Amino acid sequence: MENHWAELIVVLIKCVFSLAFVMQIVPILIWAERKVSAYIQDRRGPNRAHIMGIRAAGLVHTLVDVVKLVVKEDIIPDHVEKGFWFAAPVIAMSVALTTFTVVPWGDSLLLPISVTSLWGGTAAMEIPLQVAQINGGMLFILAIGSLGVYGVMLAGWASNNKFSLLGGLRASAQMISYELAMGLSVAAMFMLYGTARLDQIAAQQAGPIWNWGIFGVLNSPSFDPLVLIGWVVGGLAFLLFWTSVFAETNRMPFDLPEGEAELVAGYHIEYSSLRFALFFMAEYAHMIVGSAVTATLFFGGYNIPFLDGAAIRAHSDLILMVLGFGGVPVSLAFAFIAWRRSKRPFYRALAKNDIRHREPRFFISMWTMSALSALGLGVVGALGLVGGTVLGPELLAFALQTGSLFIKVLFGTFFMIWVRWTLPRFRYDQLMDLGWRAMLPTAIGTIMLAGVWVIVREAVHAV
Amino acid sequence: MPTVKINGIEVEVPAGTNMIEAAAKIGIEIPHYCYHPHLTVAGNCRMCLCDVEAGGRGPDIACNMQARDGLAIRTDTPRVKQMRKSVMEFLLKNHPLDCPICDQSGECRLQDYYMDYGQYESRLADPKVTKHKRQDIGDHLVLDAERCVACSRCVRFGDQITGTGELRLFNRTDHTEIGIFPGVRIDHDYQGNLADICPVGAITSKDFRFQKRVWYLTDTDSICTACATGCDIKVCHERNQVFRIKPRRNDAVNQSWMCDHGRMIWQDLTSLGRLLQARVEGQVGNTDAAMQTAVETLQGAEPGTVGVVLGTQASNEANWALWRLAKDALKGASVFWCQGNDPGAWDRVDDLLIDADKNPNTEGVRALTRHDASIGDGADLAHAVREGNLKTLLVLQDDVLGRLGDAADGVAVLYIGTHRNGTVDKAAVVLPAAHTVEQDATYTNRRGQVQRVRRAVHPAGDSRPAWQLLDRLGASLGKAPGASTAAIAFKKLSAQVPAFADMTYRALGTQGLPLVAPQPEAQTDQASQEHHEPAK
Amino acid sequence: MTLPVQRPRSFLERLFIPEILRGLYITLQHGLHNLFHQDQPTVEYPDMRRVMPDRYKGAHRLTTRPDGKVKCVACMCCAQVCPARCITIEAGEDADEPIEKYPVQFQIDMLRCIYCGYCVEACPKDAIRMDTGIYEINSFTRQDMIHDKAYMTDLMDGKKPLAEKFYRDQPDQAPAGFDGTQDRVVSVDDSRGL
Repeated sequence: MENHWAELIVVLIKCVFSLAFVMQIVPILIWAERKVSAYIQDRRGPNRAHIMGIRAAGLVHTLVDVVKLVVKEDIIPDHVEKGFWFAAPVIAMSVALTTFTVVPWGDSLLLPISVTSLWGGTAAMEIPLQVAQINGGMLFILAIGSLGVYGVMLAGWASNNKFSLLGGLRASAQMISYELAMGLSVAAMFMLYGTARLDQIAAQQAGPIWNWGIFGVLNSPSFDPLVLIGWVVGGLAFLLFWTSVFAETNRMPFDLPEGEAELVAGYHIEYSSLRFALFFMAEYAHMIVGSAVTATLFFGGYNIPFLDGAAIRAHSDLILMVLGFGGVPVSLAFAFIAWRRSKRPFYRALAKNDIRHREPRFFISMWTMSALSALGLGVVGALGLVGGTVLGPELLAFALQTGSLFIKVLFGTFFMIWVRWTLPRFRYDQLMDLGWRAMLPTAIGTIMLAGVWVIVREAVHAV
Repeated sequence: MPTVKINGIEVEVPAGTNMIEAAAKIGIEIPHYCYHPHLTVAGNCRMCLCDVEAGGRGPDIACNMQARDGLAIRTDTPRVKQMRKSVMEFLLKNHPLDCPICDQSGECRLQDYYMDYGQYESRLADPKVTKHKRQDIGDHLVLDAERCVACSRCVRFGDQITGTGELRLFNRTDHTEIGIFPGVRIDHDYQGNLADICPVGAITSKDFRFQKRVWYLTDTDSICTACATGCDIKVCHERNQVFRIKPRRNDAVNQSWMCDHGRMIWQDLTSLGRLLQARVEGQVGNTDAAMQTAVETLQGAEPGTVGVVLGTQASNEANWALWRLAKDALKGASVFWCQGNDPGAWDRVDDLLIDADKNPNTEGVRALTRHDASIGDGADLAHAVREGNLKTLLVLQDDVLGRLGDAADGVAVLYIGTHRNGTVDKAAVVLPAAHTVEQDATYTNRRGQVQRVRRAVHPAGDSRPAWQLLDRLGASLGKAPGASTAAIAFKKLSAQVPAFADMTYRALGTQGLPLVAPQPEAQTDQASQEHHEPAK
Repeated sequence: MTLPVQRPRSFLERLFIPEILRGLYITLQHGLHNLFHQDQPTVEYPDMRRVMPDRYKGAHRLTTRPDGKVKCVACMCCAQVCPARCITIEAGEDADEPIEKYPVQFQIDMLRCIYCGYCVEACPKDAIRMDTGIYEINSFTRQDMIHDKAYMTDLMDGKKPLAEKFYRDQPDQAPAGFDGTQDRVVSVDDSRGL
């Protein structure tokens, strides 16, 4: 009984952490969306706003955007259906955040000392790095994710605006169509993993890279030609799932609900200020969660290839040393790049007393300090100061695994941005055609092939 | 009537008609500078040179060729074209390139004819002869001798029309310079005509100087209402603003001339005394309220104590509307009219155009009185007021109180007019009326010529045409005269008053029609009605 | 109306995936190039600015005679030819000048101006020119967007050539940050671009 308090506190902390995990990526994504699109289109992207002369490649713009969205007038049009209209952005945002609760961002954290000892609990406690360990974790994601359509649909309908309504209609039709393919591709993966719990799914992919879902959860190194079946199953399931994620998040090339050219802004046309910001953030939160789930299903989740949790804990000093000493030249390279940027004609063009002259100096010193800290980290590792401690390896494993997921999520979202600035928008009939006539049969085929593979995998293992 | 042949086309014209007019009759333009229909022929610009096919000798000037049987000329031969081009070259030889600052540009014969008949490459190697520029020769005139082409129109105008003869051409050959005699200043009432007849920019108007480039202006045909002569004018305006008034040719009224006073009547539009808003007991207010007060005053008046005074300064339509109002809506109202000028009217008189009577519509009201014998004159009005028989007076643009003086104390005056006068200050209700250039209407001049004015600009302030105000007043009183538009009012007028019989706005045209007989003063030249060429 | 266009497509093209990958490869090339090379054609405008070609038009200016009065004689040719009807001139008589006419008011509504340059072509006195190269024509009020006689006369002092050229010739008068040696961009610190 007494442990419930501790569990409650731990769960609250985990909630806050998962919330922070998602929300901290959102501004990065907004920045990345602008910068990546700019670079892809041979532009410079945001680079004007600065704080004390530090522009940070346009990151400040995101900050300024937040201020702008917060202080903007919140316009509530007279003609909207007030209740639903207020609820829509909240639904959109909360759905996006809720789905992340079942995504694990690391294996368990073993704490030898416990806050629960205050209430007389046991001395050591194991904290699974996941907010909710639900048996049907993936099903939970599908269930909650499909609620996301309500946000868009209600916004479109309650706005009482024909553009919004069309946007909402498109969104609902599109999401329902693609949920099928998504669910079926996930079903194939269930067959491979034998479970719907995401922590178990992630745990199965620990170790070598061929354990990843995209390689059919092979579980053993083998070069039997039959392995190709697994690759095909994993690859197809990934392709279907990933495409569906695009459609579910309303991203290009499936962003017909927003379709600026024909619908102005689609379902959120009547929203302003923070209400609009909620939709805006929900889209990015969806991207993050989508990427996280994809990473968990197909790319080993929080696992670092060939380096499972046990290995990290066992070789914490070595890892630290490699990371630290490896980080020194990388940091120095960045410092060098910052120095080289200071020679750009732009800085010569600035007036002598312009505050932005600080920026290259700031970044040079920052990267130099980063190099020094990396060096310190390496020295700590080399001296073997961590491995001996009780808490050290645990925290290192936690940091590396969460970082691994973080990087995978970042790559996934980057890929989404990349695709957005590469592909044109589908026509609506093409979208439906693709969903029902291409992806759905392929998904069913994938399930069948997955069945074959599950049997074959046993055989391969047996060999 | 002799028949002449111009470019092979036969045309029959009265004997003595010159070839420029004869050609104009069949639509052939013969360019000319010195010729003017209302001046004698000088023949010194040489621009109208034509080939004579038969009935004469060699190239001759059209302005001096009088129609006679057998005469045949051509204006389309290569030789004529070459002659015109050469004449243009001579005329323009010393002409300064002042066009950007010259007020004449846009309506300059040199510009027009250069484009039509000149178009040569300049062969001038020597510097141009310079002459005196910007000379102050009169209160309304600026003379630039350099621009002159020595057509002598202005000299002839001074000699033949005003008889003052201030201008002469001095020196010889290309040093010929238009000038004024030493110590003399042009000081007559017809100065503006010099600027009008000057085909180039040598004499320009001081009042219009640099006010507007002429190509922006829109011309609206109208007539001058400064005196009973009723000179035909065109009102030059742009964007609801009048910039100048120029005379229009009407051989029955003013030939091609008008006086300088008439040229400036547009200034009355915005003068200080202009009534722009309705007044009730001296308090400025809106027209509806003032009209309501007027209606209540008229309805509250004892029967038989209401009088209306027709206005010799107001249009035929307004006077007709007031007359109908008195007859139909104000049963038993007595109608009066006052002949003679308002106190304070301008007092110039001459035997050329400026009439002693400063009211533009005296004859129109007189025609009405001839039709309705019950209309009393000024003496009757004064008598009625002195006797105390009139308690309420509805006055149309006539300074009744100025005429009657203290005798009219105690009479409630409802006044409709354009400008402040002695009556406005004492009137119970004042309704602002539109000026002549702000409305469509007709006036009858001293010779009984009924002529149209046309709306050039919007009525200033709250003012409305008097006939419209009277129509609204009549509607409020129970029976409107039915003047929903000026044309309808005039149509009803012509149906009811025999003197205006069969007249319509269309029939009046640009030149007007004389009142139908019997009228002793109507001595207009019927033949001249055919002339429609505007004065240059 | 849509017209169906029959395009022969191979199986791989109909599969989309290889084509999508090809597209992604192209965009990635651009992205990576720009990540490591700062050679985008973008001019970082308020800090750097493009050198306008010598014949670039820019804002209008009024030229002056040696005595400082404007050359304009208010002939209205520019106002007449202006297709946007943005020039307003009020003429007046100059008592002292041998050239009698001068503009009391000369206004160009830059909000309406379409920079066609017809006014310059039409001017018989070379009084109006579009050779300032000034392209920063902006203000916070509509009223300020109406350039008047004084403003257009003061612009470039009535006789200076292109600002950049001027500063290149007289570097000591150039504002901070002016670098006339670069041929692609220079920067000028002055907010008016001079």
